[in-house]
Amino acid sequence: MSHEFDLSHPPFDLLTQAQQQQLLSRLDIGYFGQDELIMEAGHASDYVFVVLKGAVAELDPTTDERHNDDSVIREYAQDDLFGAITVINGTSRYTFRTLEETIAWLIPSALFRTLMEENEAFDAYFRNTLTQKARLLESRRSQQTSGGDMSAFVMAQVRDSVLREAVILDSGTTVFEATRTMREQDADCLLVRKGSQFGMVTRTDLLEGVVLHDHGLEGDICDLASYNLLTVQADDFLFNALVLMTRYKIQRVVVFDGPKLAGLVELTDVLSFFSSQSHVIGLQIERASSLEDLARAAKETSRLIKGLMAQGVKIRFAMDLLAALNGRIIAKAFEQLVPEEVRQQCCLLVMGSEGRGEQVLKTDQDNALILADDLKWPECERTMQKFTQTLLDFGYPLCKGKIMVSNPEWVMTESQWKKKVAEWCSSTDGTKQMKLAIFVDAHAISGNAKLFTQVRDTLYQSLAGNDVFYSYFAMPLRQFSTPLTFFGGLKKSEGIDIKKGGIFPIVHGVRALALQNRIKETNTFVRLEKLAEQKIMKKKFADDLAEALAVMSTLRLDQQLKAEAGEVPKEDADLVNAVELNSLDRDLLREALHLVKEFKSRMSHRFHLER
Amino acid sequence: MVLKTIRTATDRWTQKKGEFAHLFEPYEGDEVVALDCEMTSLDPEKAELVSIAAVKIKGTQVLTSDKLDIKLQKPESLTGDSIKIHRIRGVDLLGGEVLGDALAQLLDFIGNRPIMGYYISYDIAVLNRFIRPRFGFSLPNKTIELSQCYLEKVQRANPELLPDLKFETLSEKLGVPMVGQRHSAIGDAVTTALMYVRLLKGPVPV
Repeated sequence: MSHEFDLSHPPFDLLTQAQQQQLLSRLDIGYFGQDELIMEAGHASDYVFVVLKGAVAELDPTTDERHNDDSVIREYAQDDLFGAITVINGTSRYTFRTLEETIAWLIPSALFRTLMEENEAFDAYFRNTLTQKARLLESRRSQQTSGGDMSAFVMAQVRDSVLREAVILDSGTTVFEATRTMREQDADCLLVRKGSQFGMVTRTDLLEGVVLHDHGLEGDICDLASYNLLTVQADDFLFNALVLMTRYKIQRVVVFDGPKLAGLVELTDVLSFFSSQSHVIGLQIERASSLEDLARAAKETSRLIKGLMAQGVKIRFAMDLLAALNGRIIAKAFEQLVPEEVRQQCCLLVMGSEGRGEQVLKTDQDNALILADDLKWPECERTMQKFTQTLLDFGYPLCKGKIMVSNPEWVMTESQWKKKVAEWCSSTDGTKQMKLAIFVDAHAISGNAKLFTQVRDTLYQSLAGNDVFYSYFAMPLRQFSTPLTFFGGLKKSEGIDIKKGGIFPIVHGVRALALQNRIKETNTFVRLEKLAEQKIMKKKFADDLAEALAVMSTLRLDQQLKAEAGEVPKEDADLVNAVELNSLDRDLLREALHLVKEFKSRMSHRFHLER
Repeated sequence: MVLKTIRTATDRWTQKKGEFAHLFEPYEGDEVVALDCEMTSLDPEKAELVSIAAVKIKGTQVLTSDKLDIKLQKPESLTGDSIKIHRIRGVDLLGGEVLGDALAQLLDFIGNRPIMGYYISYDIAVLNRFIRPRFGFSLPNKTIELSQCYLEKVQRANPELLPDLKFETLSEKLGVPMVGQRHSAIGDAVTTALMYVRLLKGPVPV
């Protein structure tokens, strides 16, 4: 294997060709022995370093035990860059020392500063936040896999993609007139203005109104319109419009630019823009008339997600889309098995990662059922057994903790649920707290959602004023340590459990905050947005946490896909090996873990976990 | 060795007032030049130079920013007959340096620094074959043999050992990655330089 200075990765690919040549011509190579001091705290550095081989630790000199883990700020391995901050700031805040023999490329400080002055993008890279770096990585990933257009296309905003001008008529326009306008404008639907409200009339509405409901041709078009429209903002991602359409089984959404109507987005246009299979699966689900049809659609979803990820789609979009599809599949299966009149008197909940809408591969079924107090349904247990079995056949594995409707413990009447929830809230028992945590992520997916809101209200009431509760509830945050150093012994590094060390602390901490502030949303990303809106958390910190979660989820998904393909053992599905990552991924992971650590310490303080 | 000393003494005398007199001064600095040449043959009497690369070493740093990397034309072998056979004309080799200029650059680059390399005596023998007729002297510089340094270091720890001295083996044992393309003169020169720095500074290779 031969080594040359790699210009194809950020930040060096941001340089112009002339700047790259200048850089190459000025590089030196340095050799450092084991435990050698490279840069001392408080001193300037003559170079910015890029590790060619070896490992270097960045240490906090104020904690003087060199081998104490706490003093290690960061570690650097092959292709990692360090010293840039020192060169920017003039002196180094920390000490850099080799962990093993190290060979590094040396970029003269003066040259580095000149490059930063000359090249804005290069400069910005070193002043970037995690969010911005992640974006860079994403665009690069999609360039590698699909020639560069996918990210642009997923990032497409409604405004500049397929926005259609809406045909708008005022109230009082006759049905006859409206039909003629529609034909003239070659439109499939129109919007009508009734006061300050907008309604939508489609060709089907017209046809049914006139033929089935005996609406006269001279009648007001407004009477045919439907007014509960789904809307998106013009600067929203087109992808969100697609998710919305998938979730609500609709063909069009209305687009607003602030308070002003901007137009329409039609499903057919979105589909031709995306030409992805996602909606095809959505349609399969809707049209499925038997469980067999549904099973076929369910099996497609994994492939869809793999495809989307490979094309560089942001993991959050993939999660949203999958949650929408899974939600439809589960609801549809429920509808197939439970008769309509029973469904009106019960409510199916999905919980855990499904409830949060954060799964990317099919994870364990986590669901529960609330029955109305006066419901008589002797078939209940048998039907629920069958429901669980059906989902298993669809490819949703059984929940190991038996948190499923096939377990009578999770099928209760409304009053029983309320009692149970109150009991969980007043207990400090670990198992009960865990059950509560699972329930906090629940959302209603089929049946009568009112049953669920009533139980949830009981939850909020039971917790009102009970601050001690949170100090128990948030306790699991301290259960797993978050490693900041990946390469204890670089060569035999086993990888880090990214689920326990990184993802869980964010999800659980945000869950506790959401519960405390009665935020009803279950998705962690949305919860973070709400927390920022309510000024419980600084917007920037919330954004960074969301990005950290996305980064770690993406890395975990990569690993899970590998496990599924048999490239790594199944039990290693959550282990991310930092040494095998490319330097930018590693850099992102490093920053993400630092954020997790900071978040944990803030949570410890907030919920008084240090006892 | 004795021959070289006598030869150098004579050369110094004849070059006393010449352009290259400084080459014969004793070296006082702390730099070493790593040298590697690509050649057409393994026979030092027949080999022709294809490329010459050299890089300076200062302390534990390999100054890749201060290097010489020259690809050569071969006008001697480029006769009318070979043009007919290879269909290579002089213009096709434009961009390559003329040997005389290249050697002058090399002498200028090396100065009176010690020269270090892997089986360096072979490279120097070939270089001298071309330098002597043009400049009237042979390279007077002190030479350092990488494989010898390696052997000494290993044997100082364990005199019984007879280590394998293949280039790839040294690189692996010393944990030094191959930099640049293997068998490109500049790549080998830089790798050799790194191995040398590693040998001086690092622990005994095992």
